[in-house]
Amino acid sequence: MAIDGLIILDPAGRPIIQSSYSCYPTAYPMLHIEALNNALEKAPRGGSVDPVIYVAELSCSSACCHVEVGGMRFLATISEDADPLIAFAFLDTFIEILHDYFGTVNLATLKDNFDIVYQLLEETLDSSGHPLTTSQNALSDIVLPPTLISKLLASVSPSATGVPSGRQGGSFGLTGASGAFASPIPWRKAGVRHNHNEILFDVVEDMRAIVGKNGMTLVSNVFGKIESNAKLSGTPDLTLTFTNPSVMTDCAFHPCVRLQRWTRDNSLSFVPPEGRFILADYQYKPPQGAVISNVPIPLSLKANVDMGEFGGTFTLTLTSRSMKVMENVELELYLGEDATSAQCTLSSAGSGVGSVGSADGSWSFDSRKKMLRWEILNMRSSGSWILRGSWTSKIKAPRPAHAFQIRFEIPSFSFSSLKVDQLRLSGETYKMYKGVRMRSKGSLEWRW
Amino acid sequence: MSIRAPRKGENYELSVDLNSEYRDKRKDAIKRVIASMTVGKDVSGLFPDVLKNMQTEDLEQKKLVYLYLMNYAKTQPELVILAVNTFVKDSEDPNPLVRALAIRTMGCLRAEKIIDYLCDPLQRALRDDNPYVRKTAALCVAKLYDLKPELVIENGFLDQLHDMISDSNPMVVANTVAALTDIHIAATSNQPTDTTSNPAVFSITSAVLNKLLIALNECSEWGRVAILNALARYEAQDDKESEHICERVVPQFQHVNGSVVLAAMKVIMIHIRNVRRDDLVKQLIRKMAPPLVTLLSSPPEVQWVALRNINLLLQKRSDLLSNEMRVFFCKYNDPLYVKIEKLDIMVRLASDNNVDALLSELKEYSSEVDVDFVRKSIKAIGQTAISIESAAERCVNVLLELINTRVSYVVQEGVVVMKDIFRKYPSTYEGVIPTLCANLEELDEPEAKASLIWIIGEYAEKIDNADELLGIFVDSFTEESYQVQLQTLTAVVKLFLKKPDSSQGVVQRVLNTATKDCDSPDVRDRAYIYWRLLSTDPGAAKAVVLAHRPPISIPRTTVSPALLEELLGEISSLASVYHKPAQTFVGHGRVGADSVQRQGSEISDAQKALQTVVAGQQAENLLDFGEDPAQDGQPSGLAATQILPSTPAAANFLSGTSANPLDDLVSIFGSMGTEVVGAGSAAALSQTSMSVSSPFDFGGLSAPSSQPTQNAQPQEDLLGLF
Repeated sequence: MAIDGLIILDPAGRPIIQSSYSCYPTAYPMLHIEALNNALEKAPRGGSVDPVIYVAELSCSSACCHVEVGGMRFLATISEDADPLIAFAFLDTFIEILHDYFGTVNLATLKDNFDIVYQLLEETLDSSGHPLTTSQNALSDIVLPPTLISKLLASVSPSATGVPSGRQGGSFGLTGASGAFASPIPWRKAGVRHNHNEILFDVVEDMRAIVGKNGMTLVSNVFGKIESNAKLSGTPDLTLTFTNPSVMTDCAFHPCVRLQRWTRDNSLSFVPPEGRFILADYQYKPPQGAVISNVPIPLSLKANVDMGEFGGTFTLTLTSRSMKVMENVELELYLGEDATSAQCTLSSAGSGVGSVGSADGSWSFDSRKKMLRWEILNMRSSGSWILRGSWTSKIKAPRPAHAFQIRFEIPSFSFSSLKVDQLRLSGETYKMYKGVRMRSKGSLEWRW
Repeated sequence: MSIRAPRKGENYELSVDLNSEYRDKRKDAIKRVIASMTVGKDVSGLFPDVLKNMQTEDLEQKKLVYLYLMNYAKTQPELVILAVNTFVKDSEDPNPLVRALAIRTMGCLRAEKIIDYLCDPLQRALRDDNPYVRKTAALCVAKLYDLKPELVIENGFLDQLHDMISDSNPMVVANTVAALTDIHIAATSNQPTDTTSNPAVFSITSAVLNKLLIALNECSEWGRVAILNALARYEAQDDKESEHICERVVPQFQHVNGSVVLAAMKVIMIHIRNVRRDDLVKQLIRKMAPPLVTLLSSPPEVQWVALRNINLLLQKRSDLLSNEMRVFFCKYNDPLYVKIEKLDIMVRLASDNNVDALLSELKEYSSEVDVDFVRKSIKAIGQTAISIESAAERCVNVLLELINTRVSYVVQEGVVVMKDIFRKYPSTYEGVIPTLCANLEELDEPEAKASLIWIIGEYAEKIDNADELLGIFVDSFTEESYQVQLQTLTAVVKLFLKKPDSSQGVVQRVLNTATKDCDSPDVRDRAYIYWRLLSTDPGAAKAVVLAHRPPISIPRTTVSPALLEELLGEISSLASVYHKPAQTFVGHGRVGADSVQRQGSEISDAQKALQTVVAGQQAENLLDFGEDPAQDGQPSGLAATQILPSTPAAANFLSGTSANPLDDLVSIFGSMGTEVVGAGSAAALSQTSMSVSSPFDFGGLSAPSSQPTQNAQPQEDLLGLF
């Protein structure tokens, strides 16, 4: 396992930040950057590049793994027989850390905070290629996040505030040292104190499905995640139980979860890290025995598309089948390389009394991406919405995609109806605030 | 000595600020220096000024100065010596973060002169009270070994590392394992023969094993991967121990980090070989499926790596995901590289139970916009037809529907695939021939043309206007590609042998053109052979040209069994992604402190490696069709192209393997051919086939001198030699 280094490229493909590569020839990082840029250049418009690019120019042939974030490319170079998945997992973790530190990850924030990015890079990736500290709990002790105060201090004249800020930096080093890594639990800081103790769980379920031409569900999978945010003092030992844990299958857990307990009685027993973390991943599978083992899709689409010469017409009817209100319903159709324009009208025919027509929907055509988009911000239960329209194309036989991409969100709903039974705290005596929220979303491919 | 910056300009201002009396001004200046450094400006002139700021209470400032030092240590090692005292002092700082930082930075500097000062602080750091310092120091030992192995051994650092495997802190254990593994790799790659006496060799004993298994559940994801990789190297004493390891590692499948899951899978795949209890094997295999499926909900890059590994796992354990084919259905928005892998896996998972769902998916994909993907989908239909006999008819029907769409590339690919189906199921689907022939005009790709011609030749007796159809190709003979010429030649001869009365003229014409006007030695030689055969003994010609060909089949594996075993041991590594053994493409990246100047000589190594890969590729192609002697040594279009998707990223090495099956001739010499091919080396192939050609050295026809120069078409070259 050896990630030689990490390079961040700006949208133009120039490196803005890279790790030191002190053990490698000077040309080493450049060759990887070049290989990636060449591959990107060669790729057809909108085409995809293999995520692992083999770089053979150097005596030590190696590969670079890359992902795109906010227009930038993050690339991790690996040599020897390393695991590309480690590279991707590391990139993912690193980007997540940047998100945590700066809120967003874009060119401007990285340039503004390049010194922090460098420090993070040093702390997370050893020059011998081993990822080091990536747990946010430990990192925040050794690399100070940019705070409002430090920004304020930086903006006023340095001479005026020189002394206090310097002291702040120094003192942090010492206090941090006592806490950092002295904790017996690797993922948790020692000696955390909060005036107000709380832990929040967000259960987010994500449906991925493909619906065939005939309206039959071909595949539907629901992947769930329990996102947690803990602000608890001391060393809290928590036990989370569910009324119906059987709906969670193929679980994967944060290292803090005691696996033996889960295998024994399906309860999650753990000492949480501080702050945000993902407690568990699972897949929801409907109970066995049902004829169709698919999770029902909460909306339906009736699509009539007539292809003509130099364009076509369509009538799309979206109907909600959900008992809950669906939000941010979004439908996309790629109209083909040669599409030039689209014209649509919206209407809604629903059982709802005060259906207001186009007020709650909008459509657009992205002439660069050739994408027709239809958005409905708020879709009440069992209402119907209709989009009629036509598009034009430069070529005689237009070739639009044969699948609609539909995304939706359903707040306060879960496909699995997973229910938290109780959350017990032991090891500490304070009272804590507990909260559980359910949320669902989905992305469907609807073929026609 | 360093050169002072001029008295004006940016560097001068920085230098003034670096010497400012105000802390914040100095710190700000350091940041600006680093900023200039990262955009490639030369700020080495500021070295003394920056160095002055090294001794500070402010940890952040210290880190920035260290960053600067690391950057210039490589180019100006003499300057770094100036900093040595501060490093040594920092390594005794009361703050563990400072101690760790000093050790880590000194390890990174890689300056020969500073190394001598590193040993004492490192000695202390390895025994530090603070686990953070210890785990940093552990990795530092590996770096030191890289530069000066003798120092590590003299100072007893190795023994210390071995003691640290028993450390109370799991993260220290994990880093120690990582360091020992690095040292092990460095030591064994230099002198692979001497493994027992070398103290640097990290042999995992059963005592170590137990410590690793305990630490495994306690440490971070990266630590787990390091430990799992070490476990993969362990050689179990007996099957009991293998079972024990498997049982202890299986819970790692429940880790959220995909790389931990794959590393655990590697360990299981290695140790499962020794597990005797069938129920346990079944249970382990069952437990492998869900985490693999979960990986498919990750971003496309991770999916791709996962898919490549799944593809490999399935070649060994085809029952692994037998009920999960639907998970691999391609979505319109999937990147092409993901789609192609999914397609390959779907075909692998095809069975009687799910073939209908598979076919309707493949049909769907065949109407997509992306040409490459459409072609691959159509190929997949053919592969399904060949591997599942009961579904062949349904596959043919789907193909017919697709051919009827009249989309040019769909038709061409469909024709190529149909030819393979004819090979597998001779005389079963003759009803579709008229449809195929109706599209003759639309074919413009050599492979499609050659395939259709082959079909016409093969079923000439059942096609009324076969002479007419073949006549079209004879007319344009010299304009066609060699592939098509060869096929036309053979088809016409077949036609003549089947219907001698009506085709006398056309066969005369084609033999004339091929021997006189054709500039390809292969085509010419084959025409001579036919001519000679036909004129001396038509009976023998019949026996040869119309010989019965054994049906083709699709190999379950794209790599040889031995290679597969090796790759399975490397699951989750680059090797398993490329489906190539590691040594063909991985070198040692790191260079020692003084070896940068050796660059020039090393370039030839890269070329050597490249040749090895090409040779390996070639050997693989040959192996691929030599695998099953019943296949008459001939990968038809399908089997051959199956290799293609298996090497996406290394595609630049991959020579096109779209060689058309010029089956007829090869099949005559089939028995000999396969034996040779089974040897698996291109050299052996060309040599032996030369000698094979001598019995057929009729009259003035000498063995042609065309050596297989292009590795792209070994099969054709083989033909050419006859």
